[in-house]
Amino acid sequence: MNFDLVIIGAGPAGMSAAIKAAENGVSVAIIDENPEVGGKLLGQLYKDSKSGWWIGQKIADELGKKLTDLNIAFFLEEQVCGIFPRWEVLLSSGERLHGKYIIIATGAAEKALPIPGWTLPGVMAIGAAQMLTNYHRVKPGEKIAIIGIDPLSLTIAYDMRLAGIHVVGIYLPKKSEFSHMKAEPKQLISYLSNFVHVLPNPFLKLFGKMLKYPVIQNLAITYYPSFGIKVFGVPLHIRKAVVEIVGENQVDAIKVEKVDKNGSANGKMEEVTVDCVCISGGLYPLGEIARVAGCEFAYLEEVGGYVPLHNENLETTQAGIFTAGNITGIEGANVAIEQGNLVGLVISDRLGLLKNSKEIIKAKKKVLLAREEAVISFQPQIEIGKEKIAELWNKRMNE
Amino acid sequence: MRISNHPVLENTAGDEIEFTFDGKKYLAKQGETIAAALLAHNIRILRYSMKEKRPRGIYCGIGHCYECRVLLDGQVSVRACLTRVRDNMTIVSEREDSNEF
Amino acid sequence: MQNTIVCRCEEVKLGEIISSIESGATTLRAIKVVTRAGMGICQGRTCRPLIEDCLSKTIKQDSNDVQQLNFGNPIRPIRLSELANTRKG
Repeated sequence: MNFDLVIIGAGPAGMSAAIKAAENGVSVAIIDENPEVGGKLLGQLYKDSKSGWWIGQKIADELGKKLTDLNIAFFLEEQVCGIFPRWEVLLSSGERLHGKYIIIATGAAEKALPIPGWTLPGVMAIGAAQMLTNYHRVKPGEKIAIIGIDPLSLTIAYDMRLAGIHVVGIYLPKKSEFSHMKAEPKQLISYLSNFVHVLPNPFLKLFGKMLKYPVIQNLAITYYPSFGIKVFGVPLHIRKAVVEIVGENQVDAIKVEKVDKNGSANGKMEEVTVDCVCISGGLYPLGEIARVAGCEFAYLEEVGGYVPLHNENLETTQAGIFTAGNITGIEGANVAIEQGNLVGLVISDRLGLLKNSKEIIKAKKKVLLAREEAVISFQPQIEIGKEKIAELWNKRMNE
Repeated sequence: MRISNHPVLENTAGDEIEFTFDGKKYLAKQGETIAAALLAHNIRILRYSMKEKRPRGIYCGIGHCYECRVLLDGQVSVRACLTRVRDNMTIVSEREDSNEF
Repeated sequence: MQNTIVCRCEEVKLGEIISSIESGATTLRAIKVVTRAGMGICQGRTCRPLIEDCLSKTIKQDSNDVQQLNFGNPIRPIRLSELANTRKG
């Protein structure tokens, strides 16, 4: 089947791109492996001090309705098995889609954080718990422990409390090859203090006020109470790490140990009964399809990992292949939506269908604005990361 | 394990449908995934690993990790987290003797 | 931690990955070949960043210098029957 544009991923970026392109008369196909459009939007729920509750599912429904109204071809419950020049996309049903242009908007995946016992049923990535709680409306467990303290895990802990789920505590991970600063109280506090200006809920607010200054950060760690600080009814443990998850055929308990400022164990062990453990290791851009398509990548800590090199039009190093959303760096859905709008316009323009090219300039400004105003940010250095990508792109183009 | 009366989100309705997992009958809500329907009945073990025969369940919940794969009406390696329950589906936990590709 | 699984698909433990690195597997591809880590059905989506961590910690490389795995088709598993079906169309 032939289209002007084939979009891989029906999350906020992919859907927005599809809408903008189709509005300008581009023939669009959109692919997702989920039976429903929305991607990570489907599970999102948080309070935004300016605009009230952000209910991701509502936004997804609205975007989905526009896709239907614009007669965009959906390929849901389809995996992309291959991508071949220039450009053919092979789906798991065997269908082959041909596109003059491709947008790869595959989002992010969760970074795992191995801890002894983490393969037991009942241990899940924090994103799974978010989908279960806010979208499926099934409790991930009756008694839940969260491992990993970051804006995402704190937001989801809040969501679980909202849904009446018992969260026994939020802990550090055991220090290991994989834990990075997540297991080190000192570094962790300094990381969390970056989010002072964007704090969406009581958990984060508490941190923000306390931790603006290094001296206070240090005191906070030293005198952090061993029973944790209760935020929204959930004990937050900066000085305790989960060292093992125990159970025969599924999770029965966690083993928790006190740690020093650098995350090394220095205390006695206690066991806490739980039936579910949610691990938050952070997100990384999911770029495998762009890799297979031959796009060049760069590793940038500031944006969360390896991203396809791209310019301000979100064009990659492979002719005809564009990208948008979390694959270009870990950010919130609002940025993904604006990136989608932008790339949809750029491709309409390339096809000679955009009447007013000033719209592209406006759309670029909106991306920057959304980034500035982000309510939840994950990578405190995202703007620096984005500048570095632009530099790398320019360097590459001058070679 | 279901959440009812959410203070912010609208409550989900939906007709109930019947499916079978490992020989037992259960009810699911129309439109929900196999993984969610089973967890609603407090069922966490979805398969057993090949090498060590250890139980596994939902891990990423979004289709990336393939940990939740089950046998569905004879088809192997179906991801429970992305596949909707349909009326009278027969689902079996995946084990060593379930044929791989 | 040595007995902790890193590659959930192929059930490869941390100890196996570390010893493969110590005995000379200093690229992601070599570790994959020696241990099977990353060769399972999820194709490394869960463990690839973890193996990069092991490699950069063990041989003190920056992530930027860790030689990347080759990515290739098929990106996701596809049944041969379905592949065969499509050639007609």
